[in-house]
Amino acid sequence: MTAVNHSDRTLAQVTRRAMLGSTGLGLGRAALATLLFTDLTRGTSADAAARSGHLREFGLPGLPHFQPRAKNVIYLFQSGGPSHVDLFDYKPVMKRLHGSELPQSVRGDQRVTGMTAGQSSFPIVAPFWPLRQCGERGTWISDQLTHTQKIADQIAIVKSVNTEAINHDPAITYINTGSQQIGHASLGSWLSYGLGSINENLPAYIVMISQGTGKNPGQPLFARLWGSGYLPSKHQGVKLRPGASPVLYMANPPGISRHRRRQLLDALAEMNRRHLADTGDPEIEARVSAYEMAFRMQTSVPELADVSDEPDSTFDLYGPDSRRPGTFAANCLMARRMVERGVRFVQLFHRGWDQHIAIAEQLPKQCRDTDQASAALVMDLARRGLLNDTLVIWGGEFGRTTYSQGEMGSPRAGRDHHGRCFSIWLAGGGIRPCDWGRTDDFSYNVVEDGVHIRDLNATILHLLGIDHDRLTFEFQGLEHRLTGVEPAHVVRGLLA
Amino acid sequence: MFSSKALLILGTSTTFFERVHLARRASAGYRGKYTARQRACGLRAALLVLLILGGGPLPPRVKAEAGDDEQPAAFARVIRPILADKCFQCHGPDEESREADLRLDTQEGATADLGGYAAVVPGDPEQSALYERIRADDDDVRMPPPDSGMTLSDNEIEQLRRWIASGAPWQEHWSFVPPRSPDLPEVSDGDWPRNTVDHFVLSRLDAAGLRPSPEADRRTLVRRLFLDLTGLPPSIEEVEQFVDDPSPKAYERLVDRLLRCRHYGERMAIAWLDQARYADTNGYSIDGGRHMWLWRDWVIAAYNRNMPFNQFVVEQLAGDLLPDATVQQRVATGFNRNHMITHEGGTIPEENLANYCVDRVKTTGEVFLGLTIGCAQCHEHKYDPISQREYYRFYAFFNTLSDRGLDGDNGVNARPSIEARSPLASDEEIAQTRQELARLKQQLRAPHTGQAAWEARLRRELAERGRDHELFPVEVLKVSTPNASGVFAINSGGYVLVSPDASGHFPQISMRVDVPRITGFRIEFLHAPDQSDDPIGYGKALEGSFVLTGMSVSATEIPADQTDLYNILPIRRVTASASHADYPPQDCLDERSHNGWSPHPDNNTPQHITFTFDEPIDTQTRPYLTATLTFLGGGYPRGEHLMPRRFRLYAMTGNDTDTNVPTEVQEILAVDPANRTDEQLRRIHEYFAATSDEMSALRYRTENVRNRLGHLTEPHPAMVMDTAGQPRHTFVLERGQYDRPAEAVDPGVPAFLPQLQSDWPANRLGLAYWLTEPAHPLTARVAVNRVWQLLFGAGIVSSSSDFGTQGAQPTHPDLLDWLAVDFADNGWNVKRLVKMIVMSATYRQSSRTSPEMLKRDPNNRLLARGPRFRLPAELIRDLALKVSGLLICRVGGPSVKPYQPPGLWKEISHFGSTLATAQVFVQDHGESLYRRSLYTYWKRTVPPPAMVAFDAPTREICTMQRSATNTPLQALVLLNDPQFVEAARALAERVLREGPSDPEARLAYAFVSVLSRQPTSEELAVMRTALNGAREDFLRQRASALVALSVGETPCAAEVDPVEHAAWMQVASLLLNLSETITRE
Repeated sequence: MTAVNHSDRTLAQVTRRAMLGSTGLGLGRAALATLLFTDLTRGTSADAAARSGHLREFGLPGLPHFQPRAKNVIYLFQSGGPSHVDLFDYKPVMKRLHGSELPQSVRGDQRVTGMTAGQSSFPIVAPFWPLRQCGERGTWISDQLTHTQKIADQIAIVKSVNTEAINHDPAITYINTGSQQIGHASLGSWLSYGLGSINENLPAYIVMISQGTGKNPGQPLFARLWGSGYLPSKHQGVKLRPGASPVLYMANPPGISRHRRRQLLDALAEMNRRHLADTGDPEIEARVSAYEMAFRMQTSVPELADVSDEPDSTFDLYGPDSRRPGTFAANCLMARRMVERGVRFVQLFHRGWDQHIAIAEQLPKQCRDTDQASAALVMDLARRGLLNDTLVIWGGEFGRTTYSQGEMGSPRAGRDHHGRCFSIWLAGGGIRPCDWGRTDDFSYNVVEDGVHIRDLNATILHLLGIDHDRLTFEFQGLEHRLTGVEPAHVVRGLLA
Repeated sequence: MFSSKALLILGTSTTFFERVHLARRASAGYRGKYTARQRACGLRAALLVLLILGGGPLPPRVKAEAGDDEQPAAFARVIRPILADKCFQCHGPDEESREADLRLDTQEGATADLGGYAAVVPGDPEQSALYERIRADDDDVRMPPPDSGMTLSDNEIEQLRRWIASGAPWQEHWSFVPPRSPDLPEVSDGDWPRNTVDHFVLSRLDAAGLRPSPEADRRTLVRRLFLDLTGLPPSIEEVEQFVDDPSPKAYERLVDRLLRCRHYGERMAIAWLDQARYADTNGYSIDGGRHMWLWRDWVIAAYNRNMPFNQFVVEQLAGDLLPDATVQQRVATGFNRNHMITHEGGTIPEENLANYCVDRVKTTGEVFLGLTIGCAQCHEHKYDPISQREYYRFYAFFNTLSDRGLDGDNGVNARPSIEARSPLASDEEIAQTRQELARLKQQLRAPHTGQAAWEARLRRELAERGRDHELFPVEVLKVSTPNASGVFAINSGGYVLVSPDASGHFPQISMRVDVPRITGFRIEFLHAPDQSDDPIGYGKALEGSFVLTGMSVSATEIPADQTDLYNILPIRRVTASASHADYPPQDCLDERSHNGWSPHPDNNTPQHITFTFDEPIDTQTRPYLTATLTFLGGGYPRGEHLMPRRFRLYAMTGNDTDTNVPTEVQEILAVDPANRTDEQLRRIHEYFAATSDEMSALRYRTENVRNRLGHLTEPHPAMVMDTAGQPRHTFVLERGQYDRPAEAVDPGVPAFLPQLQSDWPANRLGLAYWLTEPAHPLTARVAVNRVWQLLFGAGIVSSSSDFGTQGAQPTHPDLLDWLAVDFADNGWNVKRLVKMIVMSATYRQSSRTSPEMLKRDPNNRLLARGPRFRLPAELIRDLALKVSGLLICRVGGPSVKPYQPPGLWKEISHFGSTLATAQVFVQDHGESLYRRSLYTYWKRTVPPPAMVAFDAPTREICTMQRSATNTPLQALVLLNDPQFVEAARALAERVLREGPSDPEARLAYAFVSVLSRQPTSEELAVMRTALNGAREDFLRQRASALVALSVGETPCAAEVDPVEHAAWMQVASLLLNLSETITRE
């Protein structure tokens, strides 16, 4: 299926190089740059790079389709469904109606999950904590997010995001791969496929995971959320983990020094090149280069992960958790370091936002995990001049119900899943700080300027210079695209 | 300007044109699935989209196969694909999206009189509106419309003209017509063909002016055959045996031998598992474990016994419906239970059931029919003549079983599930395994030279027990139980109180330690305060006891609510004050829910468990400990409340005061061996055999063999298909939505294919008979194409899951048809088919290529050379295991868990709060580490990372073809994954022990072991330099040699010098990393 993208020209080019005998050890930087996470004989990246004359930017020919607003994306994915009712989408009327039944006319005939479908009553629950108006435009943000309140003027809060999915697995698959069906490519892998890498030592798409303290374990995650679906598997997200071997299998085995490894790779390259001369298959040259890049990653990744060069002020900004590898805060700091190094797409998955029960206890913990570092990331990017080129997205797969799950007032009470409207925020990378979209008085239905998750993905692609309709991949007779086949709209009002 | 004729065809006003255009614009993704909804989209929305969309061409669709020649436009091969690609979207089978009442997918439609005019007027291009419209200059008139992003090339337009001019002959899409056996084509060189296959290939080469490549040398051939037919490389002896066999029948004899080899079935199964989306977990949401390995055993057995393919199909689709169905025939139906399932709370059972059925249709369609039938779930198929109603008639076949919408939790198979014995169990192996087990038990009982040293060590440990021991109550900062509030409380004195409601919840305990250097910690379990008459636990089972099923602890610089998954402190020893025989203390280090530590029956006095760290912890730099305790039932359900009532934590200095050594054994240890009674000797040896490190390898072996015997002799569960007492009715689902049933439908097959015979049952069995009718146009073609793909890296039809109008054209249509007819005519004999292909001269060609060849045919679609491709993930690991001598060749059985980086499952799973299995990875030991890769446990949400690096799919859905990429991550796996590092060590040891002593000959021996051919002198020189360099390094740093040899569980041979061994290990690693090694040449 990948052979679909076979480029004869690339092949010819590679073959020529192979035949001319690039037998010297240690490839030139230029050659290497085109090889990271690209599949030389099957992809078109080298070709595109060669034609454009640019060393560090390659992907599909013709991409970006137009001048991009953002070069990088940091997606702070909040897995589980943060309560938009409590955090962003403030409805004064709910305070008054607290405890009264959510009118049937508002609930409509929407299907609800099996967890609350059987409830005899759907009492409205006002936000658990105060929200306040922040920044110049007086946008409402919960007091649980005091740091986010400080960046109110830099973010666009979209209150009208919506999805048809009502349960985690389909919903999180939907927002990350554009489909509730299994087998589609994730947003990050589309970007890797379309735009390629802008760093010669690091993957184009890196994923990090943290476990929230509000709910443990959070809802499970799946490799498919950063998978490549029908796209060639090299485009899947590469997980970066805390510890000695941040990329799986990256550390040399015990007892093997870097010098020893270098010696081995030199011998390997020589033998592989001899075989190349014998067989004529340019794939061998690509493999030699892949080994060189692996060798370089063994220094570039630890350098990336080593935060000892960060001053205390950085940790102060991101909060105390940022000193503890594996936390959301530490990952936010890593995300900034990656963007500095040109990683195209960084996606953090923070678990634990599924507050069916004990929301009063759990939600503040989730907020504490994420609030300071999320805001710090925006501030840090801004002060380093990186925010203009970096799109930051904060949001989950759906929101939560206005009505109580479980007995109202009980410490066990929470809120169920709600996909009809929920809030996310975006910053940087061509985003116009604003409040976008309007929901009804119960924060239950979209009233104005709905943003389907398809529209959200179309907008993200647009900011990266991609027409979502034209980034396609043919598989089983269909032209697949991230935004699927139903109409998707770039949300122009969000663009700066 | 457009002509009036064109206007007549499409309507008579420009307004109409606009409407058509806008509707098309609105269908932003209109090459995809859900057009019905798009059409509902009003004009306003359409205009909006019009404003937003940038327009511009889609990336070109690369479809043409190399070597397309200048033959007259054959309808099926040239014209229909153009129409399908560029016209069917709006003028195809889908009535809903059909524009202007024109359909071009049928002859009738294309030539229909549309009011005095027709799209196609046979013989007269100038009178044909189609020809006029595709040439129009005006954007409003030209087809396809410019905004569709599609264009026709000049060549395509000319082809269409010539086709119309020649009378517009019409043929069905090639794959929808039953294959007929074509005549043998003339070839330029009658000597080259070895069998019929070659005639077809050579005639195509002749037409393209190419010559076949010479036959590959014998060493390449033997390696190729071994890899292709068994998935394993040949040993040196196996290579030499073939190379030295002068008989003209040598090659054929080798083929026959390999087809008889039990590894043949494993090789074929590897591909089938992808297609059948086999996995060991449920996939959705919590992704708990399931038991389906019996079905995998069935597949291996079926291939090995050369079950005819039609029977293979019938049994997997409908084995349960066969008259007097055997248990194995029912196991076979697991094929359509391999789909993902869920018990995610909140999901709607009816929707889940619909999803399962959708998956069965999709998989069955792709695997057996080569049709993307699944596309018609929500609307008529865009390209192939499958209506939505037909889709649901097909769906109806799979919608009658007694499965539930929410099922499959706690490691118990979703219903229906049966118990059966493995079809691979032979009396011979059972007998052998019994003997093996008896032998191992004997060995465990036999005297061991290590026992004296072990006793000395034990005595010393006992003597030093409690030395410098002191306990310090820790300061408990917090107990986090995020999923429940108030079920654990800290009371004065640092006790943690557990409420009766705590069952199912696990505490994470954040502590501060003031003692500078601690060696371990202890948890003391007590009565609830002032209730000393009550037991220390809540358990209903185990009478007031509890089971601690897991414990992990991390140390950090700053306080943490949760244990740091990536920084778990290794535990050297666990002891307890008292233990239930089935719940020993060390079992709580294995965090799975079915085992753990319980003090039962001593439930009425306080008990404690003590953990000693590998290394003392410097609490000045890391004063904060966070421990996670899980109480997941130890095999009992939640309702048994196996929770403690109160506990307290202590940091420990010095040595543990407890020991796991039973008092009785301690007494024996105190007796001089010479003075022990027979009973004492027996008892202490028994304890030595059961617990010592010296005996652990033997214990693992025994355990594995015991398990193997169980797998061979006992029944095991497997999910199957059945028919419910009251089967569900099937309805057309509007837009594919489970909650929008429309018309009720009966099972049936698409109208464009042959119909079910009236004497067949109208159920899955009838469907299976239908599929395997020799006249069926698709089944045999799809099946032979899949075998071709396995042997050549790509099918004759490269889109092996799509033989429909959007699929690739066959490169050798006549060959495909000939193979298909021959296959069905000869009893669907798979081994015969495989043999015929590998016996051909085409298969035996050398894979060497040249710039000239790459230019002519980069993808080798014409087969002027042998295919060369990187091995699939499983074969790469299996190769390393075999050449290193580590491979355990047992066939079949449950999945195993070889090495994997820690934490991968836990970081994304639901570990701790559910009794679902497969939430925490616990590595196996002994031979389970060295089984073939198709037995590796497949967790869908975290598939084995080393397999994924080499393009293995997640197995969430049916996969017919894998990518073959080439990335740095693959290099890291081959260089650093303990599995490959250990293989390098074992290979080095094997070379040193079994290879010749002459240094050069030894290098050559190593090379041949891996690559099956002799090295060139240059290659030898590189290896020699590598060896010498490594030897020098390790001579300088002897310690690092020992460290390098420490990876992996297999012991190192004592007699091999570590420096020499480590140096050779580098050579072995070099060989295992060669491109040639992981490539089928």
